[in-house]
Amino acid sequence: MKERLLIANRGEIALRIMEACEELGLDYVVVYTRADEESLHVRRARRKFRIADYRDPNEILAVADEAGCTAVHPGYGFLAEDFRFARRVVKRSRPLIFVGPRWEVIRDLGSKLNVKRLAREMGIPVIPGTIEPLYNEIEAEAKAEELFQWLVENGEPEPRLLIKASAGGGGMGIEEVRELDEVRPIFRRVRAYAKRLFGDEGVVIEAKLSCFQHLEVQILGNQHGELVHFGTRNCTIQSPGRQKRVELAPGFDPAYLTYGFSPEKVLEEIINHSLKMAEAVGYDSVGTWEWLVTPEGRAYLMEVNTRIQVENEISARISRIRRRPVNLIREQIRMALGEKLGYTQRDITFQGTAIELRLVAEDTRRNFRPLSGTITRFQYPRYPWLTVRTHVPEDRPYTIPTEYDPNLALLIVWGEDTPRALERAHRALEEMILEGHTSGGGPLHSNVPYLREKLKEVYRFPV
Amino acid sequence: MGIDHRKINRLLQKLRSHPYCVYAIETPHTGYLRSFRVKEGSEVQPGEILFLLERERNLKPVKSRVSGRVQRLRQDLLDRFVEAGEPILEIWHPLSQEEVISEILQEALQVLRAPETARYLPSPEIEARLRKDGPGKALVHPGEDLLIMTFMKRETPIRHEGPPAVIYRVFFDPQEVVPAGNPLLGLCSPEEVPYIDRVLARIREEWPEQ
Amino acid sequence: MSEIYRELTDLWERAVYLRDIKGEDWENISELVKVLEDLRRDFYERPSADLEKRLPGFQSRILELEDLAARTLTPYEVVRIVRHPQRFTLLDILENVYDRYTELGGEGEINIDPAVVVARAMISRRVGDKVYLHQVMVIGHEKGHGEEFREGGSAKPWGNEKALRYMKIAETEGIPIHFYIFTPGAYPIEDYPGAAQQIARNLYTMAKLKVPMVAFISEGGSGGAEAIGLADMRLMASRGYYSVISPEGAAAIEAKLKSGRPPRELVERCARNLRLTAEDNLRLGTIDRIVPEPPLGARRRDYAFFRRLRYEMIRATDEVVLQTRSLRTFRKYVLSRRNGSEVPEDFGIYVNWELSEDEKEILLENRSRKYREMSRWAICGRVSRLQSYLEKGQDLGTRMFHGLRHGIFRQSQKALRRMFEEFTQEGSAFLKPVTDPVKTVYNLVAGRKKKVPRIVSPIERIEEPEDIYVSPLALEDRTVTCPNAETHGCPDLWVPDLYGEFCGVCPNCGHHFPLEYQWYLNNIFDRGSIREFNEEISSGNPLNFEGYAEKLAEARKKTGRNSAMLTFEAKIGGISLIVAMLIADFRQGTVGVAEGEKFIRACDRARVTRRPFLALVHTTGGIRIHEGTLGVVQMPRCTLAAREYIDSGGLYIVVYDNNSYAGPVASFLGCSPYQFALRSTRLGFAGPRVILETTGQPVPPDYHSAENALRRGHIQGVWDRRELRLKLYEALLTMGGRNLYYR
Repeated sequence: MKERLLIANRGEIALRIMEACEELGLDYVVVYTRADEESLHVRRARRKFRIADYRDPNEILAVADEAGCTAVHPGYGFLAEDFRFARRVVKRSRPLIFVGPRWEVIRDLGSKLNVKRLAREMGIPVIPGTIEPLYNEIEAEAKAEELFQWLVENGEPEPRLLIKASAGGGGMGIEEVRELDEVRPIFRRVRAYAKRLFGDEGVVIEAKLSCFQHLEVQILGNQHGELVHFGTRNCTIQSPGRQKRVELAPGFDPAYLTYGFSPEKVLEEIINHSLKMAEAVGYDSVGTWEWLVTPEGRAYLMEVNTRIQVENEISARISRIRRRPVNLIREQIRMALGEKLGYTQRDITFQGTAIELRLVAEDTRRNFRPLSGTITRFQYPRYPWLTVRTHVPEDRPYTIPTEYDPNLALLIVWGEDTPRALERAHRALEEMILEGHTSGGGPLHSNVPYLREKLKEVYRFPV
Repeated sequence: MGIDHRKINRLLQKLRSHPYCVYAIETPHTGYLRSFRVKEGSEVQPGEILFLLERERNLKPVKSRVSGRVQRLRQDLLDRFVEAGEPILEIWHPLSQEEVISEILQEALQVLRAPETARYLPSPEIEARLRKDGPGKALVHPGEDLLIMTFMKRETPIRHEGPPAVIYRVFFDPQEVVPAGNPLLGLCSPEEVPYIDRVLARIREEWPEQ
Repeated sequence: MSEIYRELTDLWERAVYLRDIKGEDWENISELVKVLEDLRRDFYERPSADLEKRLPGFQSRILELEDLAARTLTPYEVVRIVRHPQRFTLLDILENVYDRYTELGGEGEINIDPAVVVARAMISRRVGDKVYLHQVMVIGHEKGHGEEFREGGSAKPWGNEKALRYMKIAETEGIPIHFYIFTPGAYPIEDYPGAAQQIARNLYTMAKLKVPMVAFISEGGSGGAEAIGLADMRLMASRGYYSVISPEGAAAIEAKLKSGRPPRELVERCARNLRLTAEDNLRLGTIDRIVPEPPLGARRRDYAFFRRLRYEMIRATDEVVLQTRSLRTFRKYVLSRRNGSEVPEDFGIYVNWELSEDEKEILLENRSRKYREMSRWAICGRVSRLQSYLEKGQDLGTRMFHGLRHGIFRQSQKALRRMFEEFTQEGSAFLKPVTDPVKTVYNLVAGRKKKVPRIVSPIERIEEPEDIYVSPLALEDRTVTCPNAETHGCPDLWVPDLYGEFCGVCPNCGHHFPLEYQWYLNNIFDRGSIREFNEEISSGNPLNFEGYAEKLAEARKKTGRNSAMLTFEAKIGGISLIVAMLIADFRQGTVGVAEGEKFIRACDRARVTRRPFLALVHTTGGIRIHEGTLGVVQMPRCTLAAREYIDSGGLYIVVYDNNSYAGPVASFLGCSPYQFALRSTRLGFAGPRVILETTGQPVPPDYHSAENALRRGHIQGVWDRRELRLKLYEALLTMGGRNLYYR
């Protein structure tokens, strides 16, 4: 039977999934909301259904049944890391294939505490902190003192702790602590907040690293126990809301910059650790292990993302399988449908540097406030070294929907080495045209100047 | 400001030939349209079930929020899968005298709309004037505080900009939260008051109280 | 002339009374009334001699009819006698039985609650030529003779609070209390603190009030009666009624009426089935003695009856007092009783009603024994003698074991604890490394295993699918709409998620969907820790209520259980406790003899083994009407047991859910100092329909919500079902008395 995929997402990721399906010769069906009617992913698709909300599993599944779909691709965001959705997809009376890891894996690796616990058991370094939620102040204070001591011993000039709601995420319910006396009141505040917002009083305490590089390892596994990696990425450049803006692959470039440690060794270490954990949990899809690396070259596992990521393509861009280009979304779908890899780690080679620039309608000078409005002119240059991923049409005005992230486009630039890649990145930013106005009538800002500025900082530890 | 007489006349004409507010009832989400509980032309009351929509084996009644007559019922969609936001029927809600007046006034007057979803109160002076002179007579001068907005536990005054104006209509209830964008006050210049009075008098004659 | 008129009027009044009691169609009574009425009206137009001649005929006819009426009196007619405006009321008693009285807090309508009258009164007795005056507190309901502001004797919560206040005053002053029960039921409103809560408080206090209490029942309307009914001696007027519900109410329930009047014939049958007369109640053992009235009931001018009542009240008080003293005097005194129709003028003996401290203790013991014994004869499915013997032996064994463990070692344990506390005061910085070994040693010595509580997270719950409880509701692939979807924008919920890890709670708005009782058993207590006991005690049909046996059989078949009450031992986070649970599946969780007995036994087990005691209410619809006053007396009985448990230093927690109403809430549940309700609870005394019928006022839909119960001070907190286990665990650690085994 020919498989038919339901694409349960919007924007550029929906377009990339469509493209992967076309490459694999699979049928697909698209869903969209009224606000997205002008989006390219809707215009390009032949079979499409209007739904009320991308986040509502009932809408997705009702359409999947009606359209005779056999599989669901959640993309990223929305339902991608909702283990209940993944479980429902496979457990319902008309089961579908979930393009992603098994739901148990999503559940177990979706909890940061659980990942920490597992990492500790396997001897994988994690940022010091609690691995069980704390419920009372005395324990919290004892733990906080221990962590302050650790930070001082590790040469941290201004030791800080983070107190977080264990059920939280995405920067919500996190507070910083500078000294021991603050622990008790802040702990109580976070606990009350956690209870109110997440219905669980559990609180965790973690040491805060002030200076680090944010690295990722791209993993691919399948149901047959095969497991490979597609190298590393560096995603240190983020907006204050901890949203990634510039990403590079590979994670470090020793030819471009030297450090007080051996970057090759660190990369090897984090790849090995990531593979080890992926193997332990039987990881069976694409996934990303996120790490923090300190200027001393110490690496700590932070979390695991059990989904395809926005920045997957820069890893694909620098990778070759037997000299042929890679598409990770296609690989993800293939694995979900039960296929074998057909290659091993030895067949995967890496070449050059890839940079992803995330073009966002935001006012970077006003605390990265997201903007809405209408794009009246949008054009980007065509080069073999440049891939642009966008759902914004070039041929007509486009109104940015207010209910979703104001991401406009991803510019993916490749160069034989890092300086070449950087130069091309600058060129791409210069040559692209983005004009429009906000709903208030003013000019529509984007983060292009910010991105240009930030290109200077790539691979460098902040001072 | 100035009143566009032609526009008001056009609107009046439109309302006269079509004294309804048409509410298009759409599907709230996808699903199978299982049955209609109303027929073409039937009269419905608020809260009455219009049709049943089934999604993931959950039969959900979709209810009417207004009263009126059912029109353009899409009988052809029965037992078919429908998308979210699909128009299923229209409810032609006959406008009452008050609703017509409110409609006309929103067109005729210079409307001050709620900048935020918040609670609003007339400022003490304005309230006193409204009480003394009544709407249609209370004058407000440039730079005076018209309203006080209570928003996130803070009180922000809303000032009257522009030439002196008469508060012709109060559209909100101080007890209730007003959604952003809803009309708060209708203002006009003192010279326009007699004209608007005449328009309203005409409406009161033409649309008898129900 | 006027003599004849007076006689005529008297005859007419008696005829009207007969008509009121027996009904208009009885023995052409309406015609007779009409004839007498006409005669009265035209009295001065007619020759008096003619009338005089006819009078004896009417007289003998009325006498004949009265005799016939008395002989054929049905239970429902007794109810009519009690409700008749001519019947004596409490104020008549205060006038005629007591020698002097001062009403406290009331002047007719000017009163916090005119339905409840409290008075400081004196009652006199003659011994030889000496007259002794006794001081008593009189507390009771005043129906008034048709005065509307008295609400027919339905006490409001603050009326019962007034009663409670003066009970405590009586205790302070050391004088006996005479209760007079003239109520169709409590006024079913939930204003502060709620009808049920106030009655429960009254019962809780009366259970251990250190003065002799005598109650006299004329109209004993269920929970309203119990609010001032937990007495050492319960007397009842021979034409009074004492019932779990009015015959009309019972008929409405039996006929499943939503509104309107039930048919007369059904009301009659219900009145019969409810066994509500004085004779019935004496036979059932829910009262101690009957005070004889004239055959058709005493009215406000029956002075002989008042003489009788005075005699009975004094004697009853004497007996209660003497039972605390020597048994021999008491026996002698009982033998001196005169049962004849004439009441002796001279008592022949004087009894001092003041009790010494020792006597007060005996008084409480007697009271406890009396109520514990009440209705026990009706328990069905009792364990065999051998089994009960074994149980007793075991009981003795456990008692000794726990005594040894917590009593004898207590000294050294205290010393250890002090040492431990000194250690911990060193500062919390080194808490773990320093105190941990000490804690372990401490636990070792104190013979206590330290168990880290394991709160099962929703995620963990799915991890071991073999022994995970799955609600039968969760086995369908479909979605449901949350009732708050329109206002809160809740998404449709997938049933397996909702009844699985969401614990039946909408994750968006927190709406609680109802769940079966098995869910609670499987999700609140440590896995496999539940040990049920006394399962064999079963609901029976002690009143032979028509149709009830079939209903019981059906409930048994449906649930596989013998009563609506489950009692078991279980653990939460390693802490062992005793649980009593009322379940909806068996007769809507109503309480009868079996349920009450199981509750008491669970209470006692918790007391003896020094365990915390949890009452978990899945649903309770009140006292089961089919067991009549045998059900009603479970209110004082169980409250007494709960009070004794709390007094012994235990921890009694009540958690309500779903519909928790009426008698049980107004007694043994409502008396707990720690009551909590899940968000889905509707908690109160009477449902909206009964309130509308009684008060004529509809109540808002959220009238009985948990939040409003909290606002009124009925409960101490509103809990979320998802956190129930955690909350209970915390409660076990932080609340309760000194005698818990783990303290």
